[in-house]
Order: sequence, then C-alpha cells, then structure tokens
Amino acid sequence: MNGYLQLDKITKCYGDKIAVNELELSIPRGCIYGIIGPNGAGKTTTIRMIMSIIFPDSGEVLIDGKPVDKNFKNRVGYLPEERGLYKKMTLKEVIHFMAKLKEAPADKINSQMDMWLEKMNLIDYKNKKVEELSKGMQQKLQFITTLIHEPDIIILDELFSGLDPINIELIKNVMLDLKKQGRTILFSTHVMEQAEKLCEYICMINGGKKVLDGSLTEIKSHYGKNSIHLEIDGDGRFLNTLNGIANVSSYTNYYELTLTDSIEPNDVLKAIAEKVTIKRFERIEPSLYNIFIELAGENSNSQTSNIIEGGMSHE
Amino acid sequence: MNKFWTIFKSEYLQVVKKKSFIAGIILTPLFMVAFTMLPAFLASQDVSEQTPYSIVDLDNREIGSQLAEALTRYKLEDDSTIETYPLREIYELRQSDSDSLSSLRRHLDSLILTKSLKRYIVIFPNAESNDSVLMVSKSMNFKASNRYDNRISDILTQFRLKNSNIDLPLDTLLNITHRIDMMQESPGGKTKDFMATYFGALIFVMIIFGSIIGFGQILMRSIIEEKNSRIMEVLISSVSPFQLMMGKVLGLGAANLTQVSVWGAIGFLIFLFRGAVDIPVQVSSIVFNPILIVFFVIYLLIGYIMYSTMFALIGSICTTDKETQNFIFPIVMSLMLPVILLMYIVQQPDSLITIIMSFIPFLTPTMMVARLNIVAPEVFTLSDPIIVEALIGIVTTGLTCLGLIWLTSRIFRMGILMYGKRATIPEIMKWIKYK
Repeated sequence: MNGYLQLDKITKCYGDKIAVNELELSIPRGCIYGIIGPNGAGKTTTIRMIMSIIFPDSGEVLIDGKPVDKNFKNRVGYLPEERGLYKKMTLKEVIHFMAKLKEAPADKINSQMDMWLEKMNLIDYKNKKVEELSKGMQQKLQFITTLIHEPDIIILDELFSGLDPINIELIKNVMLDLKKQGRTILFSTHVMEQAEKLCEYICMINGGKKVLDGSLTEIKSHYGKNSIHLEIDGDGRFLNTLNGIANVSSYTNYYELTLTDSIEPNDVLKAIAEKVTIKRFERIEPSLYNIFIELAGENSNSQTSNIIEGGMSHE
Repeated sequence: MNKFWTIFKSEYLQVVKKKSFIAGIILTPLFMVAFTMLPAFLASQDVSEQTPYSIVDLDNREIGSQLAEALTRYKLEDDSTIETYPLREIYELRQSDSDSLSSLRRHLDSLILTKSLKRYIVIFPNAESNDSVLMVSKSMNFKASNRYDNRISDILTQFRLKNSNIDLPLDTLLNITHRIDMMQESPGGKTKDFMATYFGALIFVMIIFGSIIGFGQILMRSIIEEKNSRIMEVLISSVSPFQLMMGKVLGLGAANLTQVSVWGAIGFLIFLFRGAVDIPVQVSSIVFNPILIVFFVIYLLIGYIMYSTMFALIGSICTTDKETQNFIFPIVMSLMLPVILLMYIVQQPDSLITIIMSFIPFLTPTMMVARLNIVAPEVFTLSDPIIVEALIGIVTTGLTCLGLIWLTSRIFRMGILMYGKRATIPEIMKWIKYK
C-alpha cells in the first residue's frame, strides 16, 4: 500500500521508555483513518511527530513520498487532545489568529469563518469573548479553528471527548463531508465504537507498537468468522462446558460466543437447543473491542487492563 | 517570517490594548516623580514650631539669651525671617546646683510629655571648649533640629574666637558660614548639579529595571497560561517553537519600547516647558544628551532581550506562578544591584570596580547607562574611553543574548509541552542535548 502520508519506522524514546517503537503507517489519500489504542499507547506521541512538534529519534514522516518540510504544517489541521483557546479574545479574533498562523489568505478567512460559524451554530457569538462560551461550544470553536485554513490533512486527537450526542452527530456529518471533498482525516481515539462507526482504515497500537492495521472490512472478516450472538431463555452457565467454544462473553441480555476453528456453527446450535429455548442465534462480525482484547491477550502484556478500561468507557 | 509577524503583532496588540498598559504609561511617570521628588519636597517644607522651647543655662555667660535671640532672627535662604520658635523661659542655674538641675529637668520632661513644651536645651559650663550642649525633645524634626544646631555652634564658635581674642559680631559670623552648593563640571564645560546627576542616572536605571521586570513577567505569565490552557500545542503545530519564542519576546519588546517612547516624549515636554511650571531643580537640570539617549535605547533593548529570554526559559519549565518565585529572585537581584550601588557609581564612574562590574553581561545595560549619564561626552568620539567601553559592552551583551536565545530555545521547545509538573534539572540537561 503506497499511502499519501507515511510513517517510515519512526521511533521515539523518552529516556529509557520507548514511547513509539519502529511504527510504520501508510495512510491513503481521502480516507478516514483511525488510530486506536489505550491511554498511553503512544497515539499522541505519534501525532506530535507527524506534526513536527517533536522529532523521531529514527525514521521519517513522508508526505507524497517526500520527507515533510516546513510548509507541511500549513497543510494540516490539528486538533490536539488537550483543548485550549485564548479566553479573552473574541471568536472572530481567535479564528483569524489561528488562520493567520497557517498563512491562510485574509479574504478566504472571512468567507470561511461565517460559513463555519453558521454550520456550528455559533454565528451569534462571533463578536463575543471565548470565555462566554460553554465548554461544548468552545470545542466546536476549536474544531472550526482546525479547519478554517482548508487543510488537506486533518488530524483529530480524541475528537469527541466532552461532546453531547447532538454535537457528536453534527461533527460526524462534517467529517463525512470533508472526506467526500477528498480530505485525508487521521482520527485517534481510545473509544473503539467511534472508530468502528467512522473509519475505513484502522491501526491499533499498544505499548508504542503496531498491533494491527488494515481496512475495517478486512479486519472484521479476518477475525469475524467464528462469532455468534446468542439470546436464550434461562441460565447460560452451561455454555462454557460445550465442545468447540473458545470463549463466552456474557452480557445482561445476550451472550457473545467465540467458536474454535474446527467446529461448525450448526453443531453448536443443536447442542444449545437441546438444553434451552433459543430466542436468537446469529453469526456476527466481532466488535473492534473484542478483536483488540484478543490481540492484546496474545501479547499478554501488562497493558491489557488499560485496554479493557479504555474499551469500556463509552461516550 | 509571516508566522513570526503574526505572533509578534498578536502579542504586541494584546498588551497595548489593555487598559492597564495605558494606565501604566500615564501613572508610572507620575509615581516616579512622586517617589523621587516627594521626600525631598516634604523635607524642604518649613515646619514651624508653635510650641515653645526652654533653655537651661548652667554656663552663666548669656549663651542662653544669645541663642534665643539668634533663633528669633533666624534668616532663611531667601532672606526672609521666621519667628516660629517661641521661647518659654530661660533658667539660669548655678553650676554646682545639681539637685535643682535634675528636678528642673524632671519638670521640663513632664511638660514635653504633656505637649506644652516642644524641647529644651541644657547648656553646660564651658560649653564652647567641651561641646557640652544637650537638646531634649520628643520628636526629631530634622530641619528644625538643624537650625538649633547651627545657631548653637555659631554662638559657640563666637565664644571660641573670643577666647583667641578675635571679636566678631554674630551677624558677620553668620555671613561667613554660608552653605556651599556642590557643583560638578564635565569636560565640555557644562556644570551639573550632583543631585541632578544622581537622579538622572536613577531615572534611567529605574526605567530599564522596571520595564524588564514588568514585561519579563508578562512574557513569563503568558507562556505559563498558554501551557496551562493547552493553547501551546495548537500554536506549536502551526509555528516552530523558535518562531513562537522570538515572536513573543520581540512583540512584547515593541510594547516596552512604545511605553518608554511615550515616557521619553513626556520627559521631553517637561524639559521644553521647564520654565513654565514649577519643577524641582533636580528634574529640570537633567541634561538631554543625544549620545546618552542612543546608548540608552540600545541598552534598554539588549537588556530587555537578555532578561526576557531568561523569563521565557522560566515560563517554559514552570507550571505555576509560585514555582517561578525561586527562579525570579536571582534575576531581580542582578537587576537591583546597580540601583543599590548607584550612589557609589555616580561618585566613582571610572573606578576599577565600576568598570569590572559594567562588563558582567547581566549588569552591563544598567551599569553602562548609569555611567554614561555621568561622563558621556556630547559628541561621538572614539577617543573617549567610555564610548569605547559602551561599544564593547554592546558586543559582549549581544553575544550573551545570542547564547541565551540558543540555550532557551533548546529548553523552551521541550518545556512548553510539559503539563502539570515542573521540569527537573537532569531533564533540562537532557533537552539541551536532544537533536
């Protein structure tokens, strides 16, 4: 895969700690690319290296096959995980300032500004100070400042944290629009469901290393053949004892079964039907969350507890 | 460069548009004038004494009555007389009568405590030969005490002269012992009042000191605020840390220069209209010397850049105002030192100690300006050692600035991404070495 934005074995150490270890990524033009992983996996360090905020100890960041140069920063819109704006400035001033820092032409800034303020329902606040906005509004304002200079590449670190469902929907639609316009969006999150809904490509990192990458459909079909969604009347404790079942995840109203490679789902269905009444039996693709658990389990390193914690924290 | 100017402009406007900046421009010169002039003005005011004094004369040669008479005819510098020292009583006592002296003193002490007597003077026998005159009062009014002092010594001098068979009337004696004003003359032939020289140097040094501390702290706070509000990360994703640092340092430097220029203009107006308004002699006689002004502006800028770079460094490694305190202390001290030593510098502008200190880069800006204020010639000439020294000083401080900027930019780019905890010394050493 020959990507638009490529990371070529980048490594970054802080003292003895390796934050990112020989990470290779290839991000195609015009897609939504998700970087997922638990807190402390090295997502932010990776993004900071892409942005030339810090520099890799070894390896390179390439754009269109060439190492990134000074002008690269102007082509990128970056929304950091840690949000902040000048509280004493008006919305207009903040947007203008941020656009100027990206060397956007003045006439473009003004037309774009009103368009975005309208879209984000902030137009009435244009001449108000940032400190007068609610937290969610400030998030949307920061989202505008990320996009005001019409960047080619958009990097969004933990975009949805702190937003209510209505604004999440609003911003999701904006992201899909941007993708339609051919922009490349790099999206990092520790909440797997979000990545699952938006991204075409996924890269999982853990402990500074890539655990998995590829298109979402590839990943799911590769890991998905043996998962069963099961709803039954009665007690499901016997499920563990059945032949050909590798793992049982039990939820309040249903079970998710992972079958071993050797068994046919029909045999399992028969075996269950003998014991209880089946309400629903369906072959499904596994959630990213389950894939991640599985992969991290194989590595069986100390990060696993973080992964679960990260995966369970829903919006 | 565009990005540098964006930061530069934004920093400049953020400060200049603030109400506190405009207030500072107007109020600071007022405060400065008040602080330097008010004590001198108040001390020079006549404090008339309405409460009477008494004299206890143990000498019995009419020293007491002569003193009383001299005080009533006290001549001021502008030749008017004041009669604000009412005499209550002169007690003439026998010198052997020590019991009655002590009881009299107890009585007078109690009068002073009840405020019906301001002071009393005890003249012991043979006062002129053993200087035994005692003055007792509750408060030390410097000016008034001085007058008593002068008159008593005048009279005692008269007695001494009499003892050597020289007889002079008191009035003549007073005319001889006139106060002499110290004047200093510079090679150009211009006379300078010593106090005017001191205050001139003080004003220049205080402007450098004040504006560096003021704007340095604004810079440091804005960096800490940008770190804490996490704007830093957005900024750094658009501009390089070096552009950001220099944009901030120089943007605030421009605001600083704006402020000082306005003050300069105010000073120049006062200078132009010094005849029209009643300004104390110390201000009006400061001589405006173009060479001094040029060097002052250069040193103000170099000094500002040198110190504000250090403030930027502190801001980048600290996360709260409180943490910065320890780091600021040595900076304030090295800026304060020339102010404290100014009296010495004004008196010894060319001594070895002064010259050595003025080449310590951190002291150079203030020291050089203070020295130039005293001995700078009116025309630019390399034959004058102070000009050569001032030029060398510009080179050495300029190089120090470059070194500091290099060092700070290494630390700054890492420090600004540290949230929540202060950087440790080993961490900082590592950052300097990072590529």
